[in-house]
Amino acid sequence: MLLIFVAQTSLPSPADMRNYVWPILFGSVLFPENLLPFRMEVAIAGDLDLYQSKIAPLLKEKCTACHGAVRQEAGLRLDAAEMIRKGSATGSIVDLENPSESELIQRVCSESADERMPPPNEGVALKSEEIDLLRSWLAKGMPSPENEEVLASPKEHWSFRPIPQRTDGATIDSIISSVQSTRHLQPLPEADRYTLLRRVTLDLTGLPPTLEEIDQFISDKSEDAYQRTVDRLLSRPSYGERWARHWMDVWRYSDWDGYKEELRGSQRHIWHWRDWIIESLNANKPYDQMIREMIASDELYPLDSNRLRATGFLARNYHKSNRNIWLDATIEHTSKAFLGLTINCAKCHDHKYDPISQEDYYRFRAIFEPHQVRTDAMQSSTDLPGFPRAYDADPNAMTYIFSRGDDKHPIKEKGMEPGVPHQLPVNIPFEVSAVELPAAAYLPELTAASEKAELEKAWKRIDEANDKLGKSLAKARELDLSRSVSDARENSEAIKLELLKLREAEAALTSLKARFAADKAKHMTPPQEEYASTARTARELEQRWKMVEAELRVETATRGLQAAENSSVKDEKKRQQALDKAKKELEEARTKWKKYLDNDESVQLKDYTSLVKGYPKTTTGRRAALARWITDQNNPLAARVAVNHVWARHFGSPLVDSVFDFGLKSPKPPLMEVLDLLAGQLVESQWDLKQLHRSIVTSDTYRRASAGTPQTLARNHGIDPDNQLYWRYNVARLDAEVIRDGLLVVGGILEGYMGGPDIDEDSGEKVFRRSVYFRHAYEKQMTMMVLFDAASPSECYLRKPSVIPQQALVMANSELTRTVARKLAEHLRERNHGDRQRFVDDLFLTVLGRPVLPNESSASLNFLSQSAGEGNSNEASALQSLSHVLLNHSDFVSVR
Amino acid sequence: MSMAAEHAFSRRQLLVDAGLGFGSIALSSLLRQEGVIAQEPTDPKSLIKRIAPRAKSVIWLFMIGGTSHMESFDPKPALNEHAGKAFTETPFGDVLKSPFLSNERVVAFDPNNGFIRTQVYPLQVGYQKWGQSGLEISEWWPHVASCADDLCLIRSMWTEDSNHGAQLQFHTGRHRVDGFFPTIGSWVHYGLGSLNENLPQFVVMGTPVADCCGGQETHRANYLGPQYDGIPLKVDPKNPLPYAKPPADITREQQSNEFEFLKSLNQITSERFPDDEILRARIKSYELAFRMQMAIPEVVDFKDETKQTLEDYGIEQSETKSFGEQMLTARRLVERGVRFVQVYHGSNGGAGSWDAHSGLKNGHSKLCKQVDQPIGALIKDLKMRGLLDETLVVWASEFGRTPGSQNSDGRDHHPYGFTVWMAGGGIQGGIAHGSTDELGFHAVENRHYVTDIHATILHQLGVEPRSLHLPGRKRLERDFGTPITAVLA
Repeated sequence: MLLIFVAQTSLPSPADMRNYVWPILFGSVLFPENLLPFRMEVAIAGDLDLYQSKIAPLLKEKCTACHGAVRQEAGLRLDAAEMIRKGSATGSIVDLENPSESELIQRVCSESADERMPPPNEGVALKSEEIDLLRSWLAKGMPSPENEEVLASPKEHWSFRPIPQRTDGATIDSIISSVQSTRHLQPLPEADRYTLLRRVTLDLTGLPPTLEEIDQFISDKSEDAYQRTVDRLLSRPSYGERWARHWMDVWRYSDWDGYKEELRGSQRHIWHWRDWIIESLNANKPYDQMIREMIASDELYPLDSNRLRATGFLARNYHKSNRNIWLDATIEHTSKAFLGLTINCAKCHDHKYDPISQEDYYRFRAIFEPHQVRTDAMQSSTDLPGFPRAYDADPNAMTYIFSRGDDKHPIKEKGMEPGVPHQLPVNIPFEVSAVELPAAAYLPELTAASEKAELEKAWKRIDEANDKLGKSLAKARELDLSRSVSDARENSEAIKLELLKLREAEAALTSLKARFAADKAKHMTPPQEEYASTARTARELEQRWKMVEAELRVETATRGLQAAENSSVKDEKKRQQALDKAKKELEEARTKWKKYLDNDESVQLKDYTSLVKGYPKTTTGRRAALARWITDQNNPLAARVAVNHVWARHFGSPLVDSVFDFGLKSPKPPLMEVLDLLAGQLVESQWDLKQLHRSIVTSDTYRRASAGTPQTLARNHGIDPDNQLYWRYNVARLDAEVIRDGLLVVGGILEGYMGGPDIDEDSGEKVFRRSVYFRHAYEKQMTMMVLFDAASPSECYLRKPSVIPQQALVMANSELTRTVARKLAEHLRERNHGDRQRFVDDLFLTVLGRPVLPNESSASLNFLSQSAGEGNSNEASALQSLSHVLLNHSDFVSVR
Repeated sequence: MSMAAEHAFSRRQLLVDAGLGFGSIALSSLLRQEGVIAQEPTDPKSLIKRIAPRAKSVIWLFMIGGTSHMESFDPKPALNEHAGKAFTETPFGDVLKSPFLSNERVVAFDPNNGFIRTQVYPLQVGYQKWGQSGLEISEWWPHVASCADDLCLIRSMWTEDSNHGAQLQFHTGRHRVDGFFPTIGSWVHYGLGSLNENLPQFVVMGTPVADCCGGQETHRANYLGPQYDGIPLKVDPKNPLPYAKPPADITREQQSNEFEFLKSLNQITSERFPDDEILRARIKSYELAFRMQMAIPEVVDFKDETKQTLEDYGIEQSETKSFGEQMLTARRLVERGVRFVQVYHGSNGGAGSWDAHSGLKNGHSKLCKQVDQPIGALIKDLKMRGLLDETLVVWASEFGRTPGSQNSDGRDHHPYGFTVWMAGGGIQGGIAHGSTDELGFHAVENRHYVTDIHATILHQLGVEPRSLHLPGRKRLERDFGTPITAVLA
């Protein structure tokens, strides 16, 4: 007897059981009791097996590429029995009475090339025994598993469908409450005002409310007090800092990554992009505009260095060792972040679920293929040393499909044109047109800012040389007095060298100025007439500089030889090696120098060295086309994905669980109507993010309490234990940054100034600026951030807060918490003139954002008395200790 | 909701609902106190059926990316014999028609790009018989193989996900698209009492699975509540535990007073919010943190280990240092009563280093070098100390690799048949249980889905796996798995 295992997932329904031949010993000897009923080893001779083992694989091999979930030629799908029964656009294709008459059979049998399926150029005809199998399956009435999985067709898939326009005045609350009432859920009432203020303040600004803000809100009895508070919070710069961090998670912000000084990933000075994010959010720049600037500022705003900073989004993907890894990351994360598509899954083969072919992957790659990263000087300021930005370096760069994703096997017969997935049911044109760049965009070396920066660098060398020379001269005077002949001789040699260095630095500056003049004359449109003479001057001055350089080399080598001769190295062999090397260097330097003195042809410059690197004068416009396509108001994905991200961060749980995958495997979310409502409003409002935040945080749904009566909680738990329908607000652990920033606020030590270079990640307990400004890169993250589940710099579309003992240790043992406890205790003691009760009242309000409860108050006073000891000799330390305890309170790191 | 609708909820319904979940236990207590319900709710833990334990702890070694079973613990001479041929040209072409193929929960829509590779790829490494048992194991695993007589190879594993979501599935028993569920380590933590109050019961070492494939959820507790999550431990003897000590001027007594008072404040809050699982977990985490401050640095301080031991684990060589330190720490943890030690190997921010679509020989030989010696040392060390009897070591990967070639020198993902091995903890040594077909394609004899491994672990630890569930959280039959009784000693 053939024993075959049936997967638990395809457990046959009772009706299907008839089709099985049950083994005689079923359930007794062969099968231990606890294996039943789900793990049956049954002998299959039945018809169900015919479908699963023969028919379905046959159809999959021969038909479903054109008649499946993704493509439905003639409106026909053959990838599930249910769909076969449904038939094609013209009707049924099966005739169970006369199977041979079925169109299904007729078409695979046909001898006409026009009729036969699969068409001759698409596949080999079915063999006669395969046709017999199909026929006998039909004759048996097409038995198939009841629960066969039917993939949704992309056209019908919820996220690919247009966002419906609602005109019925629906709101977040009206939609949710109707779903709740059909499920008999009883939503909790509005949270108390203390809880609400703390919640919304932390949510919108990442900082807890201060005592004064709490007082003000509680005493404001006006009806619109909450709305006005929301408006005020949204207008604070701290809003941008808070929400920038969220978007930095999604957009994979990373400071430069590398080993020691070697850059391996991302870019130096990429903090300019972080500042652009913060500034853009605070200015409420439309979300679609932000996307356009991040993907294609260099094509759309080639002279606007403020906007060019945004292309840090692309620069961040830089990968030193491998261009393919770089572009793969760009493709993967551009599509995940803005579209919720996993285009990356189609690198080696067509996407398994979604309408994205392997060709689509390389089309998408072709959009980015020409681009590279460079560092430009900021035009608004001469802050050294500029900012990283994207540009098209090679408009003719070819993209080839890599066979099975293997970059060692590019298919060179066919270069890929740039494009977006062809079969995605999103009907928006993708139109590329090349852009002629203005001169300042392809000649960034000649902008005033660059020139100033370069000249400053040259001046700095002169200053340094001057400085050293000055010191040696001063020393010479001292030595002259002390009359130490050998020291004086040594010093005078040093002076000689430093003089030469100064001359060299000066010659370099003179030459640099001349090179700028010549380059500018040359690239002026039309070229200036005096170009020839400026070029000549530049050549001469550079020649002179090179000559001083050669002289300096001789002097340096002479000193090097002296050092080698006087070396204290004991190892004779090493000593001799060093000596030989120094001699050789001196010899070479002298030979070269002599050539300069002799005006030898080999050292004569033919022309000056241009400062211009020669960037292309046009850019392909491919990325601009992509940015337009993504942000087209008919693209249903961009707005849905963005709303989901924003919602997830307001509520601690997203509407669509797979935040970066809205493809066919992402089931329709239970509150899709809410998602669509907000997505529609986002587009309609010209992508106004602050308006989106406002709609959400002023909703009743957002304002619900997280706690209620045991009866309500118990009943709601029974219906919706995971709160998928938002009958309560989710209690949540605060983000790592919010915890640290909150400490700084309650300690009164937060340094509020914004922007600037990334701060050393190890100085988080000494530098009291907001956490968003600290270095955030692979293996360069503040330990406290990591322990509280900060974003991984490589990917973090949604954080997953944990509760681990290491977090307790940070809060209990860090220097920072102690410092804050001390400052807080000192401040509140002074404020309350030593009154313990009032101290305790204020402490709870400051740290937890709510009034102290009577039992907490008495326990705290008790703790103070015990800690303060006899005669309250340790009052200060007792108050600090109590403050420290409260900073460790679970509610300090939570929002309710 | 109207009052009528309110009453429509029967008292019985309320009782059922009130028993739900964890926080609800506390809720139900309250309801009883208030006279809303009559009976004290049942603690679901009291429903756990205890059986005689055969082991105390588990060391769970997980290779991320999919280790080739043929080139490790299930060598197949037929691959060499038919190298380069299409499956259909071998006597084993039928593997492509097996109904087992439909276990895969996803379908490639383009038949030209299916994932089953059908051209035989020969073994990339030799193999031999080891020990008295003569188990056949590849030459990339000499140290583990030298413990052959203690190994129980389960060569007939299968899973459903042909992509790396299988990493999550291996730990929860559920396909990635079904969502997140408690992992085996968290069930062990939940189901068993603690043996050492100073250490976490479920420790995780190594860089976890990447977000693509389950991320932190491969060691989390999901609906069991965060207090049953695995606790990550970074083994760095120079900095054993960040923030392990308070500032110098804080005495332990002062710290202890603060912790105690903190607990009482948090308790007050917990009474107000009885179903707040996060708060409950945080209270526990503070208790543990206080004790861990002393205990953890001691665990990862190897100064009481002999030079020989450090050498055995490969801690002196750069390629085995990292995993060797983790293995030694694993032994020290179970020695001190930690229940479940989960160690990841091969995290690379994506699918995992073991994912040998190409360059299998080069990649696997390097990776095996990193782990083979430390794992071998662990088994021998446990045995020497008499700990192997009570420690169940499990080695696994999310799936195996295709018998057919991919990219000329690699193998694709393979969920239809692969190997997991166990050692110690009351499991027979020196046996191979179950088998794949001649190509190593399908598990054919004594087939086991991943939860059978979970069930076996729980069974050995003394918990009847079927008694583990929470009211209101439906577990499917498959979630429970079935202990593999045939391999029990």
